[in-house]
Parts: sequence; structure tokens; C-alpha cells
Amino acid sequence: MTLFKQIALILSLFLLIILTTVLALNFKSANKGVQERLYDDAKNTATSLSLYLGSANGDTTMMSTMINANFDGGNYNHIALIDVDDKILYDRKIESNLSNIPKWFISFVNLQAPLAYANVSAGWKQVGILKVQGDATYAYKQLYAIFINLLISFAFIAVIALGALHLLLLAILKPLKVVQKQAAAITRHEFIVQKNIPYTKEFRDVVLGMNTMVTKVKAMFDKGNDELRAQKELEYIDKSTQLKNRKYLTDKLPSYLKIDSSYKGGVNMIVALNGVIEANEKIGRMRVNRLFVTIANIFSTQTKDVKDAIIARLNGTEFALFLPNYSNENAIELAKNIRQACNVAIEGAELDITQTVISIGVYEYKNTDTVSELFARSDNALAQAKFNLQHIHIEKADCAIEVMGKEAWKLLINKAIKKDRFTFVSWSVIDTKAKKLFHHVLSIQLTLDKNTSYSYAQFMAPAIQTGLSVNIYKKVLSMLLRHSSMLLSTSTYSLRLPYEYLEANDTYNELSDLLRANAATLNFKIIIELPDKLIRQDSKLIREYVALFRKFGINIGIFEFIGESDDYQYLQDLRPIYIKGESSYFLTQSDQSLSALRLITDTVGMSLIAVGVMDIQTLEKLQSRGIYVIQGKVTEELDLDAS
Amino acid sequence: MLRLKKFILLSLFIASNLLSFEPFTDKELLPAIEQKHNTFAKKRASLLQERLDMLRGKSDLQKLEGVNDFFNEVEYSSDIQISSKGDYLATPWEFLCNNLSDSKDYVISKYFALKYLNVDHKKLFFTYVRSTKFEEPHMVLTYFETPKSEPLILDNDNHKISPASKRDDLTPIYNFNGDTLYKVGKNSENSHKK
Repeated sequence: MTLFKQIALILSLFLLIILTTVLALNFKSANKGVQERLYDDAKNTATSLSLYLGSANGDTTMMSTMINANFDGGNYNHIALIDVDDKILYDRKIESNLSNIPKWFISFVNLQAPLAYANVSAGWKQVGILKVQGDATYAYKQLYAIFINLLISFAFIAVIALGALHLLLLAILKPLKVVQKQAAAITRHEFIVQKNIPYTKEFRDVVLGMNTMVTKVKAMFDKGNDELRAQKELEYIDKSTQLKNRKYLTDKLPSYLKIDSSYKGGVNMIVALNGVIEANEKIGRMRVNRLFVTIANIFSTQTKDVKDAIIARLNGTEFALFLPNYSNENAIELAKNIRQACNVAIEGAELDITQTVISIGVYEYKNTDTVSELFARSDNALAQAKFNLQHIHIEKADCAIEVMGKEAWKLLINKAIKKDRFTFVSWSVIDTKAKKLFHHVLSIQLTLDKNTSYSYAQFMAPAIQTGLSVNIYKKVLSMLLRHSSMLLSTSTYSLRLPYEYLEANDTYNELSDLLRANAATLNFKIIIELPDKLIRQDSKLIREYVALFRKFGINIGIFEFIGESDDYQYLQDLRPIYIKGESSYFLTQSDQSLSALRLITDTVGMSLIAVGVMDIQTLEKLQSRGIYVIQGKVTEELDLDAS
Repeated sequence: MLRLKKFILLSLFIASNLLSFEPFTDKELLPAIEQKHNTFAKKRASLLQERLDMLRGKSDLQKLEGVNDFFNEVEYSSDIQISSKGDYLATPWEFLCNNLSDSKDYVISKYFALKYLNVDHKKLFFTYVRSTKFEEPHMVLTYFETPKSEPLILDNDNHKISPASKRDDLTPIYNFNGDTLYKVGKNSENSHKK
């Protein structure tokens, strides 16, 4: 129960008790007044009538007439004349008619009309005693009317008082709402500094305390942000040419060389400059460095239209131009253009192009290649290029023997979508420090029948090629949300959603409808994983998706993180619950870089998860760097705490 | 010797019983009366107690005469002359201390003194009468031996107690007694307000 409700309840009870007490006292006073009036009237009648009866000189007929006249003309319950021997001389009585008064009220008030007495004399002789009792009906009616009026008045006063109390409490506790809002924001790792400082001292102290705390945490986040940005410059940028370096390329390649990559393949071009030592001797190191900058500019200019191209300086004399979704035909043309432009630059630097030679090795990669395969084949192409006349050599990737043709895959996938032939598989993400399951990672497989099933790696590549990957995700999410019993465990599951799916026109509306209809009944928790490359754009689309997921209590996570952003504010704004990066990324980061990253993640309550951890040795190295939550083959070898 | 002892014990028992009567005038009241009024007022209050003690155990008629004589010693005056309060009912002590009162106060004081002396209050009546002598309303205390018997009149004007038939100067108007008062119960607010 909120503080507001507690105070409102206590004060309302207190107010109602006071009002009820005042009501009771008022009614008691009115009751007493009515009873006194009843007696006074009876006594006055008794006195005046007894005087009147005295004039009858003991004539009973005359006296009874006088009594009748009084009895019929007034509100009396009983008038009796009793002689000195206690014998009733005359008696008039009427039963009270209380039919208009509720029985509960009669038993509640229990009014007894008092008796009044007066002596009746005839001269010095005593005739007897006159007994008069007023009619309680009138008193009951009067009291009932007073009671109803009091109830109405007090109900009105109670409503007004409770309304005023409510408004007063709202005004007094308004600052508490502000405090609560800020506290809730802190719990969500939002950095809100409250500018409206409450006037109530206690609340003011709390708000000022929280403001100070939030300011400090924000300062820590900003420091981490600045630090990581600075480290990015040191880690990933070649100082002289401002191109990316080999480490960047190595950390970035896994997001391209994967089965569900947006690009099926492309080319990796290694450009090497031979004869640099001689050039240094001839024109000096400074001019050679300027030549490298010119050549770097040529690379950037020549590839400016290639989407997602990575231009990196691998070492002092070699450059890599990683061009996703680029054909080998275009690559040869591009290599020729680059070589020609570079030769012009070399000659411009007063060097001989026969001594300072540009060689270009082009490797046509596939997304199924590993990073080491890509580098090995690219180096091989370069080696070949150095020994041929054109100094350009292209090496094509091995053509995998396709089990099925493109059309066959298309038919098979469409059939699977139509007949719900997808099943879920999962593996564990483990917190090795707490020795506990962190969550499950969900993946899908295509199961045609009991004997025929295809793994994600097998069917997703042809699905992307045939443009069916979006349809697969639509189907899979529909199955997951509508038939949550497909997952046996009530644990937490993470599911990666590709950019193509999120970007599709009708995805947002379909997902909204699905979540609205099913999110409340899910017996497990979902974490939606989005690639860092996508989420750091902090686009309107991403914000809409994050708001949608948050609305239904779904957290988001980031994968393929390599810390290449210019600003990490998006982490604070979008507040993912974890960041997943390749284990190699965490292992190759400098201490400063990792420390800055940890500063950011700690201030906004995020976890760092290393993926692709294959063996115990890698795990131990990660642990030594403070990365304890891991995903990969090694999790199969770990024992978890039963608790 | 044994007889003497019995006599002493019996005497002590009777004396203790006599002494155990609650006084009409509380001794603690006397200093206050003296302080507020004077020594004579205190003396009159003490004398009242002595007179009442003396009348204890006497017949009703002796009690009537003793009480009537004692209070009739007080000088008569109308309420207007005594106090600006107008129609005022004085307590027996106010009556004695002021030593000046109207007919109602004589009746009240006599009634309570006789009641103190265990005279049946059902026999005592406050009676409004019209005095043909003074041509003004008057009040006397009447004593009925039985409800049907002729009452005795205790009047502050005519000090002699006489039967009603001997008082041609008085015309009865209305009477009431303590019995009427007591029938309304213990709630004083429901009793006769005056």
C-alpha cells in the first residue's frame, strides 16, 4: 500500500470517527432536549389541569370531561386521575402509532415518555393525584427527522472534508511523487536530475541526495564514454593515415563471416607497397608518410560507394579493402583503378613506379569463411600478385558443393513456413562466477520429418539468398509467442532478430499485435538481441522497437559489440541488459579500454558476455580480465550450482 | 457489678446511636457561614441543629410546633425587598443566615426540617393560598394526618398551628407535596424546577 493510501486511510478514519462522535453527541443532545420537552409539556399540563380540576369540587363527571377535553386536544399518551386511596377515578390512554418510524430507530432510541404528577384538591380537601404522560410518537418523529437531517449534514460535511483531505494530501505528498519517480528512474539506470526541489525538508534532502548520486554516476558514465572513445582511437585507428587498423578489421570480420550474414560474400583486397625502404632513403620518411596518406585517400575515394566497406592499414606497407557484396569483376576494375591512381601518386612523390611497386591481391570470400581463412587466402592472392606483370591477382573461394539447388531450398523453406516445420533448440549462457545459468540462447532448426532436419547454419544461408529469411522469422516469432509451450523450461530465452526482419514494412505492426495478444500469457521471459551495428544508430525505428519491447516487459541485449561507436550515450538511452562480444574482442582489448567499457556497463547495470568461448583456457583468460558470463561450446563442460 | 457493666454498655450503645445521626447542619458548614455572614448567623444554624436534636423522638405534632416556632422567629420580607433576583427560593441555611425571607422560604425550610425529623413527607404539602388579610398570594405548609383528614396550617403570619377550618383568612388555591416531586424519579432536572 502506498504512503498516500496509508495516510489517507488513517486520516479518513480519524475524520470519520470525529464526525461520528460529533453526530452521536449532537443526537444525544437533541434526544435529551426532546425528552425534557416531553416532560415539561406533561408537567405543565398536569399543573394547569390539576388547578382546573380543583374547580370541579370533586365532581367526577365534570373532572372526566375536563380530562377528555385536554386529552383530545393535545398529544398525550396517558392521563389518569387517582384518588387518595390509589383508586383510579378516570383514565384515558392511547397506543402510540409508530408505524412511520423504522423499528431499528425505535429500538435504538428507546424513548420513554416521562410521567408528570400534580395534586388535585378541592378547597383544603385532597381529591387525588393527576398523572400525565405525553405521546412519544411526536418525539420519535421529531428525533427521527433530526437524525436524518444530522446524517445528511454530516454525510455532506464528510464528503467535503474527505475531498479537502484528498486535495491536501495530494498537495503535501506531491513532492513524494517526484522522489518516487526519480527513485524508479535510478532503478532503471536512468540519469534524471530533479530540478524541482521539494519544499518539504525531508523530501528536499532525499532529492538533493539522489541528484548528487545521479550526477556522480552520470559523471562516471561520461568518463567511461570519453575514455572508451579515446581508446577506440588508439585501438582501431592508424595514426598517420586515419584509416582503421588490422585489429579493427579482425574484430569486425566475425559479423560478416557468419552463416546469417546480410552478405553472402564479397571481396577482400590487400594492397601492398613494395620498395618503401628505398623510397625513404630517396625522398625521406616525411614525404613517404605523406604518400601513404595520399594512397589512403585514394582507397577511400575509390570505395566511397561501396556499402559497409572497411578500409584498414594492416601494417606499415599493406592495406586491406574489405568490400562486402562486391563482385570479382568489379573488384578487378577497382584494383586497376586503384593501382593506376596510386602510381600517379607515387610519381607525384618523385618516385619510380618500377621501384616503388603497388601489388594488389584480391580474394573473393564467402560468408562461410573463417577470419584466418580469409587472411590466409588474401595473403596468398597478394603473394601471387607480387609476381605477375599486372601486379593484380584474384583468387576465388572454393565453391562448396551444394547439396540442393536454390529452387529446391526455396520450395523446402516455403513448405516449412506453411506447415510450421520449425523447432527450437537452445544452449546456455553461464555466469561462471556465480556458477549459475544466465539465460538460454534460442536457435531454430528446420525439421521436415523425424529423419530429416536442417540446422540454422544449413538452411539460413539459402533462406537469405532466396529472400525468405524475413518470412522465417515472422513464422518463428508467431510460433514462439502463440505456442509458448513449445519451450519446456520457464527460464529466460534470448532470440536474435536480424535487421532485415526488423526493417520489413509490416514487421512492427505484426509484432505489436502478437505481443499484445500473447505477451501476458508467456510462461518464459524473452530477451531480444539486436546487433550493435544496428542499435548504435539509435534510429527512430530502433527506438520504436525498444519502446514496444519495454511496453511488454521484454528486455533487449546487444550482440556483435566491438566498441567502435563515436558515442556510447545510446547504451544509457536504450539500456540493454547485456552486451555480447566475441571472446577474441575482450581478450585483445587493452586494460584501459576494457576498464572504460566496464565503467560504462557498471553505471547502467549491464552485463558483459563473451561469446564463442570454445575451451577452458580461453575461459580462464576471460575470467582473468573480469569477464565471467560466457557463451560457447565450453559451457557444456561446466558444472552449475544446484541452488 | 454485672448489672452496672450491662448498664454502661447499653448506655454507650444508645449514646453512640444518637451521636451517629447525620446532622441537618454540617459542622464543616459553620465556619463558612460565619465567614460569609456573621457570628449570629452561625449561632442560628447551630441553634437549629440543637432544636432538631431536641425534637428527635417527639410526636409529629410536637415536631410541627417546634419547627414552626423556630423558623417563624425569622423576620418576613418580600423577595423584591430582599434581593434584586425577584422570585427566589432560598435554602434553609440561606433563609436562616439572611434572617429575612418571604412565605415560600418559611415553607421550604419547615418542610426539609420536618422531613429531617422523619415526618412522613407524604403528609406535608406546599399550599398556595390567597390571604384575605393581605390581599396577596401566600404560601403555607399543610400537614395531613391522613389523606382525607383536615390539614393543619403552618403559617409564618399566624404562628399558631391551627386546622384549616379555623383559618377563614386563607383560601386554598393549589397544593403539591414532596410525594409528587419524588415520583418523577431521581433525575433532578425532571423535578419541579422552582
